[in-house]
Amino acid sequence: MTALAWAVTLPPLLGLVAVHPRCTASAAGTALSIGAAASFASAVALGVYDIGHAPAQALEGFVYIDPLACFFALTVALVVLLASLGSAAYLRVEEENGALSSFQVRLYFVFFSVFSAGMLASMFAGNLGLLWVLIEASTLASAVLVGLDAKARALEAAWKYVIISSFGVTIALVATVFLFYAGSALHLGSNQRLTWYYLFAHAHALQPGALRIAFLLAVIGYGTKVGLVPMHTWLPDAHSEAPSPASAMLSAGLLNTGMYAIIRYDAIAHASLGASYPQDILLGFGFATMFVGVMFMLRRGNFKRQYAYSSIEHMGIVSIALGFGGVLGLFGALLQVLNHAIAKAVLFLTSGQFVLGYKTREISEVRGALGALPFAGGVLVLASLAVAGTPPFGVFLSELTIVRAGFEKSPVLAGVFLVFLAVGFIGLIGSALAMATGTAPSALPAPSEPYPSRTGRLLAGVPIVGGLGLLVVLGLFVPSGLGELLMHAAKVVA
Amino acid sequence: MVATSTLEQLSTSSVAGTLLSLGAVAILILAFSCLGSKLFTRYVTYYGAQSVVLSFVAAVVAYRFDSGELWALAALTLVVKGLAIPLVTRRLLLERLDLKRDVALSSGLSTSLIVGALLTAFAYLTIGATVLPHGLVATAVVPLSVAVVLLGGLTMVVRRHAVAQLIGWLITENGVFLGAITLAATFPFIVEAGVFLDLVAAVLIMVVFVSGITRRLASATATELRELRG
Repeated sequence: MTALAWAVTLPPLLGLVAVHPRCTASAAGTALSIGAAASFASAVALGVYDIGHAPAQALEGFVYIDPLACFFALTVALVVLLASLGSAAYLRVEEENGALSSFQVRLYFVFFSVFSAGMLASMFAGNLGLLWVLIEASTLASAVLVGLDAKARALEAAWKYVIISSFGVTIALVATVFLFYAGSALHLGSNQRLTWYYLFAHAHALQPGALRIAFLLAVIGYGTKVGLVPMHTWLPDAHSEAPSPASAMLSAGLLNTGMYAIIRYDAIAHASLGASYPQDILLGFGFATMFVGVMFMLRRGNFKRQYAYSSIEHMGIVSIALGFGGVLGLFGALLQVLNHAIAKAVLFLTSGQFVLGYKTREISEVRGALGALPFAGGVLVLASLAVAGTPPFGVFLSELTIVRAGFEKSPVLAGVFLVFLAVGFIGLIGSALAMATGTAPSALPAPSEPYPSRTGRLLAGVPIVGGLGLLVVLGLFVPSGLGELLMHAAKVVA
Repeated sequence: MVATSTLEQLSTSSVAGTLLSLGAVAILILAFSCLGSKLFTRYVTYYGAQSVVLSFVAAVVAYRFDSGELWALAALTLVVKGLAIPLVTRRLLLERLDLKRDVALSSGLSTSLIVGALLTAFAYLTIGATVLPHGLVATAVVPLSVAVVLLGGLTMVVRRHAVAQLIGWLITENGVFLGAITLAATFPFIVEAGVFLDLVAAVLIMVVFVSGITRRLASATATELRELRG
């Protein structure tokens, strides 16, 4: 099982071929995509294998593999695969039309590989200190992707991103120290006092005061990574300025990594302090986050910014689902993590088609895309419908599960949740329809074909179509193996 | 099985306890000095001095408990935070970008000092009484370290220049470190080493971004970083 975990974590590092000074975007993209495919295949194998087996640990608990870890690794590996294919296509075009120099392209692939491997590794970090180190490391690697094109706007976004998230993650380090202190009554070695498995097993013996502080600081600290309000301010900038495949990685991958850390802390707090303290905190942050997310989605400005606010909304939804609690709430939260990851990766990859084709990120400068760029316009509408939670896409099913969990807890909260969902729907679908339909005013330049070569079109199209197909499958039914993995993972926490 | 919670039981009256408390007070004063200063070279000097005191504190704990890992940590702190980071910031940022006087403050110095004092009181009230038992050195030092964390954050808020924000974050990091060695002397060394590695990588990446921003905007103040809103 440990060998499979390494086989999930290491293959994306194939993209490191880009350190070679004469490496081109197509060579690096191919290597990265092969690595990502291998990693995803291993993640599927690990998930299947894990269902019938007890959790495994290695290296004094620094590596820990349980259903929760397997599920998140599967989600992130899938996002890495979709974004790698997208990167191979996107970066090739950017290199050919001279928007990025060969050095910048190589920088992109090197840090993309490190970023992916860091995120995947953090899923198997059984030691909460190691988890912190890996999450901070992947944050730093991704900051380079945000600031890649070195224009003033990108540098500003990258600076805001790196300074605010580093500060937030430092708060999470304080949480780690307090958690370590909360276990001082336990007769465990120093490594074990940060090992999630031991802490969870001895949760009743942890010092409650220190644990309360640790949980609150962990939600604030890792919540900065997740984009919980009011620590979300870096998120729309970073996600809109990064190259589109990197935005997909940030929105669909990195946010989930932060959420994974919060779930680990939530499990300990839940087992030690009872359900109400962690649930109240998560519900509070969740509703504030969802409110701000949907309100800013009503603005019609930069479409990548709107998608970033939609990610904020969805992280609020996951947090609310964790707050509703119960096996149903946790099942819904995890299913939502997976569905949102696929849908948002597809939506950001689609936005790349518009950035390349129309050379703009403004909603108002894109009209009649269905006529001018039929593929891009069509998938934009479908992907927006998927993210907004329309059947038959998977997000609908997971949001329905969360609403059911909500009615069990409190009908009023579930009602507010539904209203917020409706507002988000209006914002997202409104702008998608505005971009896809209508006639382009003659003042606007006609769009060019985003991917001139046939290979490029294929590489860019496969992850979008494949992701949409997966979402339809997940919307019709949850495959039994996946459902079982999810159930096991939800029971780890509940 | 490692002997646990050794330092947590160190009393304030012992020699090591007194040295720790004194060191923590010096670290707090240096954080206030940084908050009350207006010259870029002073920021870096105060940060360097604070790191040297911090490595002294780590050395006291290492001596008291005869821990090789803590000696290594004290040495790392001295070399990386006390010498290397101040040197790199001076050479690559202050001298090359010709930074002298920081004018990008969003509030007056006296206001920020008063807010800083309130934050320190807040740290004492929330952490001291509720969580930690009385009479131990951790009870005296941990509120101070939380105050340093908050003061570092405050520095990042009231300073708009990117270099000053970087120093604010580093001060926060020092506060966390002070809390970690007193609250949890047995904190795993591998994790601490990883934290150091991340710190070095973060400083390098931030230095690159700051010089990039400064070259494009002539002055890297957040007031001019206004393109991204809403």
